[in-house]
Amino acid sequence: MKTYNETLYDAYSQEFVVDKVYFEQKTDHQHLIIFDNAKFGRVMALDGVIQTTEADEFIYHEMLTHVPMLTHGHVKRVLIIGGGDGGILREVCKHKGIEHITQVEIDQQVIAMCKEYLPKHSAGAYDDPRVSIVIDDGANFVRQHQQTYDLIISDSTDPIGPGDALFTSDFYADCKTCLNEGGILVAQNGVAYMQLDEVTTTAKRLQPYFSEQTFYCAAIPTYIGGVMTFAWASDNKKLLHVSVEQIQQRLQLANINCRYYNAAIHKASFALPQYIINALAEDC
Amino acid sequence: MTISNRLSVKTPDQAVIYNDLVSQHGSPILVLDCDKVTAQYRALSEQLPGVDFFYAIKSLPHPAVIRTLSSLGCGFDIATSGEIELLQTLGTAVRHRVIHTHPIKRDADIRDALRFGCTTFIVDNIWELEKFIAYRHRVGLLIRVSFPNPNTDIDLSKKFGCREEDVMLLVQKAQSLGIHVKGLSFHAGSQCASSANHVHAIKQCTKIMDEIYQQCGKLLSILDIGGGFPVQYTKTVQTIQEFCPPILEALQQLPDHVQVLAEPGRFLSATSMEAVSRVMGKAQRGDMTWYYLDDGVYGSYSGQIFDHVTYPISIFSDIDELETAVIAGPTCDSIDVIDEGLQMPPLSIGDLVVGHQMGAYTYATATNFNLFDKASVVVINENNVSADNIVLFAQTQ
Repeated sequence: MKTYNETLYDAYSQEFVVDKVYFEQKTDHQHLIIFDNAKFGRVMALDGVIQTTEADEFIYHEMLTHVPMLTHGHVKRVLIIGGGDGGILREVCKHKGIEHITQVEIDQQVIAMCKEYLPKHSAGAYDDPRVSIVIDDGANFVRQHQQTYDLIISDSTDPIGPGDALFTSDFYADCKTCLNEGGILVAQNGVAYMQLDEVTTTAKRLQPYFSEQTFYCAAIPTYIGGVMTFAWASDNKKLLHVSVEQIQQRLQLANINCRYYNAAIHKASFALPQYIINALAEDC
Repeated sequence: MTISNRLSVKTPDQAVIYNDLVSQHGSPILVLDCDKVTAQYRALSEQLPGVDFFYAIKSLPHPAVIRTLSSLGCGFDIATSGEIELLQTLGTAVRHRVIHTHPIKRDADIRDALRFGCTTFIVDNIWELEKFIAYRHRVGLLIRVSFPNPNTDIDLSKKFGCREEDVMLLVQKAQSLGIHVKGLSFHAGSQCASSANHVHAIKQCTKIMDEIYQQCGKLLSILDIGGGFPVQYTKTVQTIQEFCPPILEALQQLPDHVQVLAEPGRFLSATSMEAVSRVMGKAQRGDMTWYYLDDGVYGSYSGQIFDHVTYPISIFSDIDELETAVIAGPTCDSIDVIDEGLQMPPLSIGDLVVGHQMGAYTYATATNFNLFDKASVVVINENNVSADNIVLFAQTQ
């Protein structure tokens, strides 16, 4: 029986039974694989770390998209950094009120490969006329930006690897200059129980640039080790006081069907476990 | 006929196999026999049951050696990002089958290794330990301890390794930084005359591990005993059957939970290669006949300089008379002499000279000084290894 073992931690790992390998690319710099697993459907892993699976991706993509979208309430322009699998784009495109979406992906091949092997992630979203795809390093794009956005979603790989530039102070500072007034930056920020430093490091790097900085959470089964945190940064302090009722109303108006996200989850996701609160209090 | 412990004269018919290879591949070549690698791995495994082996890639970083050892279940000891790249072209590591053993690393080296799936690293001082603060949730570290190793050709105790009395401090510092130290590591030298250094180091490490548990409550679960397993060149050394039993006995004193690792390099690779060169010119200078080979100490024989090894060599002749000769390499540098004062039958231009036991630290350290091409490697007996039974490198193991 073939298996795939994640190599993220020295003392703990998750193992997948591999039913079929659809795609595998080995270079002297990275290893990318897409395989089929009976429990999680198609699984994509990069350098020994699970990136996404067909079965549980909805939790991640819905939470990283709809929480800031419906908190803001009138997002017109969205910038997606990374997200080559198209899952974020799919969720963003569900919002009819959005006028323009720019997605910056460093590697054209990632998009092509995901369209072919993970077609359910983008589900045709790349054909949406509101979408403009830019092939560039996300950090470079925000540094040299021409336009501004209401929402920036950073859907990156881990800080060790090709996504490292998307966890730097410089990147966060540049994102701020790309945001319209009252705009929001959200970013994938790792599994806090396993890598608490990621939370405190990001908080320290974001806080100089944004008056309102926090995290929200969701548990995604294949990002093992408990809840994943999403970094939240904005200069609009009122946003975090939006009520469940308002969110519910916006969700109904938006007429979006979700499998994980709802108004109660939205509000509850900002409640942080005490170990995260303590770490932030100690370090930041 | 053995003329000295260095030089054998064989009959011309024994050159046929080498002549065939040279007519096919040219010269100089290094003939890599994967069956020899397999035999050495099995011999060592038999002597040290229960020990996990991590081949020190640096001794012979060749894909065929890696594929062969991988198929046998051997892990890999890597020290640089270049070595990771070599492994990566062959596949992706299964965690715990790769250890990063360079005591001094750049941040980029750590990141490259983590991306490759390696989570075991070695440190021997505070500054190195602090480099892991950013990665503390992902790694398990070994602390390299230095024990003086006088009974060895190559003393590895000076450049790396902390003093015995510093281990406790490092463990405590790691604990305060939230970094997981999972064991100890030592190197008893290279090409050791006896296993006395290993035995001493194992005893000391056993004691240190116990003290750390008593004083810090920290359970160490790995002991990496390094390499040092000797290979017969021109000097008689202990056989592996003589060398290992004292080590095995010393390991009995370790608590049951401690897993033992070893990092053999030379022992696995040295016997796998023969260097086949041709005489490209000769000259009579004084009472010496000089033979200039197409390979020398800047090439495959570089181990004579860097590794302090004298390789056995063979020539092929049925002439009885002996002359005093010099065998030199092809470059313009006068240091490029393989041996001088050899009593040997005369050779002609085009004749073969074969160096034996030339797998370890030969190809690895060869240069192309003078822009002489390095010897190309001709792989034989890799038949038993196919992509399907490469255990380590199929990510899908």
